[in-house]
Amino acid sequence: MRKFKQVVLISLAAVTFFSCKEEQEPDCQTEPAKLRVTVQPVFGSETLYLDSVYSTVEGYDVKFTDLKFYMENPRNGSAVLIDAGLFDYRERGTLLMEGEGSYLDYSSMNANLGVHSSINHNDPAAFDNASMLNIANSNDMHWGWNPGYIFVKVEAKVDTIADANPLFDHNVVFHIGKDENFQTLTFSDVNWSDQGSHHELPLKLDMETFLQNGAETIDLKNEYTSHTAAGQEVLSMKVMVNFKAALTPY
Amino acid sequence: MRYLFLFVGITVIFMACKKDKTIYVQTPYELKIPSHFPDMIIPIDNPMTVEGVELGRKLFYEKKLSGDNTQACATCHAPSAGFSDPEQFSTGIDGLQGDRNSMALINLGWNTSFFWDGRSKTLEEQIIQPVINPIEMHEEWKNVVGKLSADIEYKNMFFKAFNTDEIDSLQAAKAIAQFLRTLISGESKFDVMYKFENNLSLSANDQVIYQTITPSEWAGYDLFKSLNGADCFHCHNGPLMQVQKFSNNGLDAAFTDIGRGDVTGDPNDYGKFKVPTLRNIAYTAPYMHDGRFSTIDEVIEHYSSGIQQSSTIDPLIEYAFQGGVQLDAFEKDLLKQFLMTLSDENFVNNPDFQEP
Repeated sequence: MRKFKQVVLISLAAVTFFSCKEEQEPDCQTEPAKLRVTVQPVFGSETLYLDSVYSTVEGYDVKFTDLKFYMENPRNGSAVLIDAGLFDYRERGTLLMEGEGSYLDYSSMNANLGVHSSINHNDPAAFDNASMLNIANSNDMHWGWNPGYIFVKVEAKVDTIADANPLFDHNVVFHIGKDENFQTLTFSDVNWSDQGSHHELPLKLDMETFLQNGAETIDLKNEYTSHTAAGQEVLSMKVMVNFKAALTPY
Repeated sequence: MRYLFLFVGITVIFMACKKDKTIYVQTPYELKIPSHFPDMIIPIDNPMTVEGVELGRKLFYEKKLSGDNTQACATCHAPSAGFSDPEQFSTGIDGLQGDRNSMALINLGWNTSFFWDGRSKTLEEQIIQPVINPIEMHEEWKNVVGKLSADIEYKNMFFKAFNTDEIDSLQAAKAIAQFLRTLISGESKFDVMYKFENNLSLSANDQVIYQTITPSEWAGYDLFKSLNGADCFHCHNGPLMQVQKFSNNGLDAAFTDIGRGDVTGDPNDYGKFKVPTLRNIAYTAPYMHDGRFSTIDEVIEHYSSGIQQSSTIDPLIEYAFQGGVQLDAFEKDLLKQFLMTLSDENFVNNPDFQEP
């Protein structure tokens, strides 16, 4: 009887200690692999910072004030990283997009510079909350009526007069969108780097190449504004072609 | 002795898992988000509840939040004025005035920064500040908590909203933030125009409103978004009628208030201020960060001919070199007629937003 009571007491004590213990999930889940695509703006051999001064071949001084673009449907075969990435150098730094998957699935990558016409005119409020196409995230990269998204946005202030007076009173505004300016990107043999917590694909956006793409130059003194409006078709297309040429694996 | 052990053991079992107190289960609050708006992202640590919104509404109109119990949030954010202040500068409890106009509280749940200089990143953070500002409500939160804690109605309301017997400033801010997130304006004539232009479905009521839109209002809208017209759309865009950014809109050639620059310390941000929504602009006079313009006509004149050049002026003000977009009298009138379509009477008169 005495032994029985001891057993009961020990059992009670054991129940007391274990009865309220939270059940823990077995730690057997593997974190999905994270993939990041980053873009480092440069001006030739220099790292580009917004609001800093760079010199063009024409002798102008230029301060870029805004660099944004959409890269939609980044994919390799049937593997799709995310629906769209939005590069916003001022607000989001060098991050273009972050997704889940194995970097081995993306030994090369195709993507769209801009937003494909099949979704460009959809209700921007109807995209998933996490999507950069949702108007809460696209912010000023969507025209508030039917034309859809701005694909590429470059804004700058330029001093076009070579003197000792730094007067950046010449504004540059390129807001390029509309289906006819949509471009495709192909990155072959991309190199993902292991960053420990994720794998990263670094891209480079060379704004010197953007201005001097072979014979396709953009002279900021004379070619300084396009909102993809009527009469601006040639410059709009040149901006897109040059921007595409400027965006390469780092 | 053995029975004593048994008794203690059994008692321990019963006590070990006993809950400390009663838990009040809050009722989820369902926001009335217009169909053409994106979802509102609610902070995980401050979910919307019926009890929280009710408490926040009461606190918004509560004068005990001020040092001498004479001013509430609503004193400078009146519903009839689109939750702004008709005065250029609000006067605090000590008779002092600031140097910025009280901002309209409209669709704040979609905003990413608060105050004209964006110094607060969240609504909850923003709400804390006017109470302790010496030129506004000039009170200490510990005193506010004391006053609220002495009120049995508030004790009950805080308990229902947050399951707490101890009131604190963070809970008060959370409750007010919940109420502010309900201040959604999306039922103006402009909303029907926006839906129509974006091929979104119009409800039966929208169809009725659509029939009332005049050719002049449509023409004013065209001017609003025309590069060679009023060119307003770069900053006032989408269903919110604003983009989330800071801009120098050419008010001054030299700055007496450096705005965003005060927060970042970056000279490139001098003279920049948060872009406000144009929704309910007819109710929210005066205009600009310093309330310098009393009427919409003055605002239109500024963008037409009053732009001042400076080193940080927004490059999107493309006609700054000629002082503005140079509208004629007819165009100004059309533009004003469009701006009137942004009025949402259901918003300013919504009984759910008035003093309880």
